[in-house]
Amino acid sequence: MDIGDSVEEAAFRAEARAWLEQHAPHRDPTKRHKQSSTDTEQDVHAQACRDWQRVLYDGGWAGLTWPKRFGGRGGTPWQAAIFGEEQSKFDVATGAFAVAHGMVAPTLMMHGTDEQRGYLDAMLRGDEVWCQLFSEPEAGSDLANIGTRAVLDGGEWIINGQKVWTSGAQHSEFAILLARTDPDAPKHAGITYFILDMNSPGIEVRPLRQITGVAHFNEVFLTDVRIPVANVVGEVNAGWKIAHTTLSNERALIGGGNTAWSIQELIEMARHYGRTNDPVVRQGIAKAHSRAAVLQYMGYRLRTSISRGEMPGVVASTMKLFYARHWAQTTGLALTIQGANGALWGDSALDDGLWQQTFLGQYAVRLGGGTDEIQGNVIGERALGLPREPAADRDLPWRETRGSTR
Amino acid sequence: MNFDISDEQKVVSDLARQIFEGHASVERVKYIEREGDGFDRDLWSELAKANLLGLCIPEDDGGSGFGLVELGLILEEQGRRVAPVPVWATLALGALPIAEFGTAAQRAQWLPGVCAGDVVLSAALNERGADDALRPLTTATRTANGWHLKGFKPTVPAAQFAQRVLVTARQDDGRIGVFLLDPTQAGVVVEPVRATNHQPHAHLVIDTVVSAEDRLGGPEGDGEEQIHFILERALVGLCALQLGVCGAAIEQTAAYTSGRLQFSKPLSTFQAVGHQAADAFILTEPMRVTMLQAAWRLMHGLPSRQEVLIAKYWASEGGQKVVHLCQHLHGGMGSDIDYPIHRYFLWGVQIESTLGAGSAQLARIGELIAREGR
Ligand SMILES: Cc1cc2nc3c(=O)[nH]c(=O)nc-3n(C[C@H](O)[C@H](O)[C@H](O)COP(=O)(O)OP(=O)(O)OC[C@H]3O[C@@H](n4cnc5c(N)ncnc54)[C@H](O)[C@@H]3O)c2cc1C
Ligand SMILES: Cc1cc2nc3c(=O)[nH]c(=O)nc-3n(C[C@H](O)[C@H](O)[C@H](O)COP(=O)(O)OP(=O)(O)OC[C@H]3O[C@@H](n4cnc5c(N)ncnc54)[C@H](O)[C@@H]3O)c2cc1C
Repeated sequence: MDIGDSVEEAAFRAEARAWLEQHAPHRDPTKRHKQSSTDTEQDVHAQACRDWQRVLYDGGWAGLTWPKRFGGRGGTPWQAAIFGEEQSKFDVATGAFAVAHGMVAPTLMMHGTDEQRGYLDAMLRGDEVWCQLFSEPEAGSDLANIGTRAVLDGGEWIINGQKVWTSGAQHSEFAILLARTDPDAPKHAGITYFILDMNSPGIEVRPLRQITGVAHFNEVFLTDVRIPVANVVGEVNAGWKIAHTTLSNERALIGGGNTAWSIQELIEMARHYGRTNDPVVRQGIAKAHSRAAVLQYMGYRLRTSISRGEMPGVVASTMKLFYARHWAQTTGLALTIQGANGALWGDSALDDGLWQQTFLGQYAVRLGGGTDEIQGNVIGERALGLPREPAADRDLPWRETRGSTR
Repeated sequence: MNFDISDEQKVVSDLARQIFEGHASVERVKYIEREGDGFDRDLWSELAKANLLGLCIPEDDGGSGFGLVELGLILEEQGRRVAPVPVWATLALGALPIAEFGTAAQRAQWLPGVCAGDVVLSAALNERGADDALRPLTTATRTANGWHLKGFKPTVPAAQFAQRVLVTARQDDGRIGVFLLDPTQAGVVVEPVRATNHQPHAHLVIDTVVSAEDRLGGPEGDGEEQIHFILERALVGLCALQLGVCGAAIEQTAAYTSGRLQFSKPLSTFQAVGHQAADAFILTEPMRVTMLQAAWRLMHGLPSRQEVLIAKYWASEGGQKVVHLCQHLHGGMGSDIDYPIHRYFLWGVQIESTLGAGSAQLARIGELIAREGR
């Protein structure tokens, strides 16, 4: 075990840093980004992500851990972590590609056809943004209950249904989509995993405004949308297993992701409000610092297991749950430090209300990618070997369970 | 001993519930949030018509002479509907102190108008950089026929609608005074600000002269006593609002998780869900008993300092936990502002931090216990 930079890692860090210095503007560590809340600001943000991704690509830094045969750099998870740490000191963003790089790419690499892997290059170049069309009004935690139908018609599948809470659908060129292809099979056995071109006729994206003030998720209505058979990932009716790959990568992505703030910012804020001597604030910051350390070390373990070619499993669930709590507790502390000013909002508040937004954003982290409780169930079953909660509907034909579903 | 509300109080509570349920539907609240200025004047005049605005104002001043427990019941019902009206500011921060300390002229000028629904009042208790409302940084300097007030008062509730704001200030003679300021007069800048719960608040930049008659209680009025009085009513009022917010949020969560099926059964039948809802309920009961205890003691003129702080501790700490639990159990629905539960969350976190969050109350309780013993 060795958790400092090795000689090679230090050399890599220096190389990354030197390249970033040349290609990216510095970030003021005491100033946080205003989150894009208007539609125009979000368009600008998405474009900035595309532009930066292109710079990374041209510089040979895109897809750091991707194998060279998929256009990546063929680096180690450690190098990706180091690059991420260095990149976070600069004023650049890649958020619009989270789904594409963090969830779609690992799935296509593992289960896609050669033709489907052709999508990898465009997402690496920053040309194509992807979104995740999984959740439906009746299929949240019970994702296997999806009711969007796909029916084969000659060489094409015809899709009808509704998705909800789809982040970034309004900026996406492509989507991964789960749809029901065999309603007579038990619910997990009749699902197929598709690639969907978001410019296809019959797709309507309706924005939903979030509690954070941002309209970044959507309802997506699919009416007679046509998908070529070549866009089925894996086998027909075997989509649930493929979705698993995507979901466990989503957990690793969320749990292993960097927080939108640094402990240093909390310290600066406590100074700003003259509260560095308040024992509640001091202990709060110290606790946040210790949680951040735990997450960092767990991240090292996660990367070690990924670099051995293992699927992110229980570690990812543990990290995601821990990370969600860290997010909730730390952003709550930030508002405590602000005192009465913590109850202000938007441009009336410190840093244009960014901390308030981050505080309210905790629900994206606590719910997305499987809720806290679902992670708890996973940990109980996989880490502790507890028996699965009995479910009466598991082996019934999906169609027969519909009557009881709202 | 009878630790429950009386039949008469139950009538007040039922009446208030009827008005808020009838006039602050989800659609109406949404409409005011979207189209209005954050003040539902129709609801306000309904409250006046039902005589709820004058309920706790003395009979001599045109009211019905009830007390703080009854005001708490009204505020609880308002909290249940997260209704956009300045009841707390007008009654707890303005009318009760004027009724208690005001000169005959001050009472006659403002209280009948409050009862009729024509007058909105508020108080400016916060100051930037001063946690302690008893030590205001705003100054009051004696002039030939009045007081020159100068200072900055952040986040004053409903200041943009108020006819008078009670402004606390340190006088040039070293005493503390409370002044009835007209926020529309020259020399006052009213800067509307956005608050987490989207209710109207404004910063006041004050550099103006008020007349000698506008000092609360006249020249002899004891500003320190007055601030104590206002703070105690303000805190108990917040506790009552929070109780309503949390009580309704739990009911809505119970209904939602019982109606929504996942894995072919109601969410509420997963014990991880049911237990969190039960935790929310368990946290709400202490809010109720501590609020009633504090309101009752204050109403009967008994020493209540600790009781008030204990109540606000529970309203802050328990309240924020409750609204988080309810928000979480709604899944993605909680994050979508087209669905109503998020308002309870936003009100809950706003009330949590108003006039000191849980840790601030604990610090004050600790100081009191250390000083006075118990
Ligand atoms: C900001 C945001 C962005 C999102 N982005 C996307 C996206 O891009 N694409 C996408 O497909 N989805 C997205 N989602 C959806 C997200 O994956 C779902 O919200 C999540 O899976 C929960 O589903 P639900 O909202 O239907 O809640 P429900 O499943 O109805 O859950 C409600 C509550 O019940 C609890 N619960 C449910 N089942 C159990 C159980 N068995 N045991 C114990 N407790 C249980 C949950 O933990 C939760 O607290 C997003 C959600 C949010 C909030
Ligand atoms: C001091 C003592 C005296 C006792 N005396 C008697 C006696 O006189 N007669 C007799 O018949 N029994 C007696 N018991 C046994 C006791 O009734 C059982 O241990 C208890 O009811 C738990 O049931 P179980 O053993 O089936 O455990 P389980 O039901 O398997 O419970 C194991 C754990 O899971 C929790 N749990 C179980 N079901 C649920 C649920 N639905 N929701 C939430 N949590 C759950 C339990 O709290 C416990 O922590 C005694 C136990 C003790 C400790």
